[in-house]
Amino acid sequence: MLSQRLIGRAAVRSAFKPSGLPVVVSPRLRRTYATESEEKDLVIIGGGVAGYVAAIKAGQEGLKVACIEKRGTLGGTCLNVGCIPSKSLLNNSHLYHQILHDSKHRGIEVGDVKLNLAQLMKAKDQSVSGLTKGVEFLLKKNGVEYIKGAGSFADEHTVNVKLNDGGETSVKGKNILIATGSEVTPFPGLEIDEKRVISSTGAIALEKVPEKMLVIGGGIIGLEMASVWSRLGAQVTVIEFLDQIGGPGMDLEVAKSIQKILKKQGINFKTGTKVVSGDKSGEIVKLEVDSAKGGKPETLEGDVVLVAIGRRPYTEGLGLENIGLEKDERGRVIIDSEYRTKIPHIRCVGDVTFGPMLAHKAEEEAVAAIEYIKKGYGHVNYGCIPSVMYTFPEVAWVGQSEQELKKAGVPYKIGTFPFSANSRAKTNLDTEGMVKMIADPETDRLLGVHIIGPNAGEMIAEGTLALEYGASSEDIARTCHAHPTLAEAFKEAAMATYSKAIHF
Amino acid sequence: MFAATRVLRAAAHAERVPSIKFLGRRTIPASVDHTPKPHPASPTHSLPSNWGSSTTFSAYRQHAQQHGPLRKTIGREQAGIGGSPGAALGPVKPTEGLYFDRNELPARFRRQPLTEAEIEAIETGCGFA
Repeated sequence: MLSQRLIGRAAVRSAFKPSGLPVVVSPRLRRTYATESEEKDLVIIGGGVAGYVAAIKAGQEGLKVACIEKRGTLGGTCLNVGCIPSKSLLNNSHLYHQILHDSKHRGIEVGDVKLNLAQLMKAKDQSVSGLTKGVEFLLKKNGVEYIKGAGSFADEHTVNVKLNDGGETSVKGKNILIATGSEVTPFPGLEIDEKRVISSTGAIALEKVPEKMLVIGGGIIGLEMASVWSRLGAQVTVIEFLDQIGGPGMDLEVAKSIQKILKKQGINFKTGTKVVSGDKSGEIVKLEVDSAKGGKPETLEGDVVLVAIGRRPYTEGLGLENIGLEKDERGRVIIDSEYRTKIPHIRCVGDVTFGPMLAHKAEEEAVAAIEYIKKGYGHVNYGCIPSVMYTFPEVAWVGQSEQELKKAGVPYKIGTFPFSANSRAKTNLDTEGMVKMIADPETDRLLGVHIIGPNAGEMIAEGTLALEYGASSEDIARTCHAHPTLAEAFKEAAMATYSKAIHF
Repeated sequence: MFAATRVLRAAAHAERVPSIKFLGRRTIPASVDHTPKPHPASPTHSLPSNWGSSTTFSAYRQHAQQHGPLRKTIGREQAGIGGSPGAALGPVKPTEGLYFDRNELPARFRRQPLTEAEIEAIETGCGFA
């Protein structure tokens, strides 16, 4: 009886509510702090190559997924300010340079050739926006919830998100994947302003061609950007601490060879040289350099200085400390062989953890991590990840270098084939470079492939497949390759490794 | 005739067996060892000594922080009723003459139903006048 009475009273009270009118909520009362949402099977922090690939794969596997990205566009460094925009500039600057300097003897006479830098940048931006929108579509297609904001761990299952549009939300996940990528390593004492002292991000967005450009770091990023601006008319000097360019992974013979080729193209090199300090207070940026061993101080000047000394894992604002996750001395999140952190349902892939900082490595890891979650079994072969430098000619390699084998005391045999002896390279008038193959002298199993040459980045796929399958150099040599193709140089190098090349 | 050609072809290739062999469709192994192992690209080739310490909630509480370290009251006097396991509180069955619920007592000790007049009195506040 009492309950009946109470219901009756409640009904009377509710009758006074203006339920027929629209409810107006004061902005002050709008909830802008964390709100509860349904628990996801997987929450991914980071929408770069590692994050978005993981999101798509997880969606395909039927998981309920949320992907948090703060940039505003998907694709991370690679699509927005890395691999993709730089390839656009490399391709188009190569065309410009070729039209200017390499067309007359091919029988093509052109008139007044002009560079329209703004249009060059627009073409780059169009490729980027097309691809990033494409990724957003793929997330939608695979049922992934895309949250635009900065994610931070609240606890082991909850990520708070500071939304780009204002306000906050929180998302819970049975599994969480850290894929926050990396950022440019700054040069101590030389602040990056992206105008005169630039990182790779500024190097793909300069508003005019600098007269003189200094590049600190002769790794892949430094050399690709040096190529772009050198082709467009800048006088470029690359300063590298090591005695070889291309980074420590590049085969020494290949590194020496590409340095010669790039020098011929007009890029100056100062290897075995350290940058002591920088000064950008004047109109010209000055760098005090010295030989790595010391005793040869020198001052270099440039309109623009590109800092390309490497990248470091990015975990700022991620709140790892809130859940007790540790990083190693280089800032990498520590994981085990199944990409688990010490909290097993929190995994981590891509640049922010171990291994080379390469987009394709991150993709492989993303797929493997999802397979571990869904099927308990995944696969990435870290001995078989290709590297490519998109200069002209391109440099590509996979597996072990000669110096690595020598250092490890592993016996090996080598076969090489120059593009100057390849028919297609001859017809293309692009004959610089070679294919170098390294195999086990006893079993003939392939150990490494190193290529300098036109389209080396495409050709390395064959070497990667052979290495992954555990092929012998004879297996490659006895595989029929179409004629006339650049790929025949690959076959001939394999022939030279197990027996003798025909055309050299 | 056709069979003979096939045999001849096979014979021609018999001298060389490619080192790449077709193993059939990939299958997931029936049992996979999920014990944490160092990541293949880890520079130290080892896992930190405290690895896996957070696999249980109690292990997590050992190092968790909330306004400083969490209070460890289990097994201590100030922990109250939650400070010791249920088994330590003794048997669940009440001893003779002891009741857990009022409704288990004889009817005269149980709560009496309210009359309509009492309800009205309570709701109008007159009951306390």
